[in-house]
Amino acid sequence: MSIETAHDKKVLVWDLPVRLFHWCVVALVFTSWLSADQGWMTIHLASGLTLLALLLFRLGWGLFGSTTARFSDFLHPPRRVLGYLKSLKDGDRLLYAGHNPAGGLMVMAMILVLLAQALTGLFANDGLHFNGPLALLLPSETSDSITSIHRLIFDAILVLTWCHIVAVGFYLLVKRDNLVLPMLTGRKPHSHMPQGVNLTFTRLTIALLLFFLSAGIATWILFQGASLP
Amino acid sequence: MAGETSARLSAPVYFISVALLTLAGFGAAMLARPAFGHAVLQWAGLEPVPRALPASFYAVRVEPLLKDRCIGCHGESRQKAGLRLDSFAEVMLGSRHGAVVRPGDARHSELFTRISLPPSDDKAMPPSGKTPLTDDEVTVIRLWIANGASASLPAGAVKGAPKLVKPVVIPELDPARAARQRAPLAAAVQQVQRRLPGVVGYESRGSAELEVDASLMGLRFGDAELAMLAPLAAHIVRANFSDTAITDASASTLAAMTGLERLRLADTRISDNTIRALAPLKKLRSLTATGTKVTDESLASLRQKGVAIYADPDVH
Repeated sequence: MSIETAHDKKVLVWDLPVRLFHWCVVALVFTSWLSADQGWMTIHLASGLTLLALLLFRLGWGLFGSTTARFSDFLHPPRRVLGYLKSLKDGDRLLYAGHNPAGGLMVMAMILVLLAQALTGLFANDGLHFNGPLALLLPSETSDSITSIHRLIFDAILVLTWCHIVAVGFYLLVKRDNLVLPMLTGRKPHSHMPQGVNLTFTRLTIALLLFFLSAGIATWILFQGASLP
Repeated sequence: MAGETSARLSAPVYFISVALLTLAGFGAAMLARPAFGHAVLQWAGLEPVPRALPASFYAVRVEPLLKDRCIGCHGESRQKAGLRLDSFAEVMLGSRHGAVVRPGDARHSELFTRISLPPSDDKAMPPSGKTPLTDDEVTVIRLWIANGASASLPAGAVKGAPKLVKPVVIPELDPARAARQRAPLAAAVQQVQRRLPGVVGYESRGSAELEVDASLMGLRFGDAELAMLAPLAAHIVRANFSDTAITDASASTLAAMTGLERLRLADTRISDNTIRALAPLKKLRSLTATGTKVTDESLASLRQKGVAIYADPDVH
């Protein structure tokens, strides 16, 4: 179903790295949940470390990436977040090229919670045959405590994910603004853009460099763990 | 403002729909995972928390076993596979994969099948590296499930249950407590230890009771030396004066050793007078008097009190 008018001009707002990051995170969170649930711990380790690499990349991309990827573009003071929510309620929604202030808050919360999950996973254990790559650096009691936190954070991820889906549904069904399609194509209707916005896009080679750096850190962590007695 | 081309839901309708959908999802999760469902209902007070009766087979035989062998990984602090085994209710809730106990059907109850697997099996419980359950322990679990996994079935009603073995409980050593108990006598003990090296020592590291062994001093230990023990007399539980030079003159000092349990007086110059003086020692359990002049007449009263007597054959 096309929500926008057929002749509405589309504008590129989300670069490829942001879109890939988003959908890879969706796949990896699902994989991490499924693998943990089924006890496939090698897959869980791989998905967790990949997620960590992606999150580190996203932190870098939030500083050096394209306009709409930058934290400075979507992190706003609470007053502006409240103002945006009020504009939603009043029906005269303020327009943003990238994440709106409430969405930006959600993105940041999700990144931080996922990062906490990936980091606690490094020190967690399943009490049987599997230890996170760095779990043996800590006393087993500490690793057990971190494992409990790891489990609790998953509940927070579930709550945030549900809030995220509900918000996307709200825009789709109430505000008639499809947020999913732009996250696939990168483009959104010109009519959903604010006036006079000037977006710049960082080169993909920078994204690749950042990703290789992040993947290198995750791999280094893995080898650190492998070298533990 | 964003362009709008088709009918939209109102925000209240949308959020009511979301609330209903959330509740439906929650309900579906409760149905799909009964353990989660029961946990939610019990938490909300809509379902009673099942508890085992104190004299039930579960409470007497199964629960101690689970607490001893399983709750390290399936207890309050750790719940591997989402499974807790630290209470009857938790056992019956099962794991995140479903029930682990099927009442009446041990062969299809994961709690039983996992502990029955050979230790080399990846799914065996306890996992490799930990001591497997004994055959008797496995039998206890099997019988409990086979008899309906009851919370109330009396412990004695389960036929074929292995005999209950009560573990020996060794009290924790408490050096501080021992030091407190020793304090009133410590000076006197030290004084005797200085004057009679190697003769007096504490019964054990955690005890304030004393043990005396003068036999190695031989004839250098006589009535005068034994008299030095008078301040400690009530705290001596074992004493060996064999091969020493003590005589009946020490009878009153020996009689003051009211905590004495074992006394060795072999090859000494004591006589019936000393044996008679021992009559008030209520804790005395063993007396050795070989190689002495004592007669059966004096020993008879001690023997009647249940004291094990070791004397020369002709005395009997």
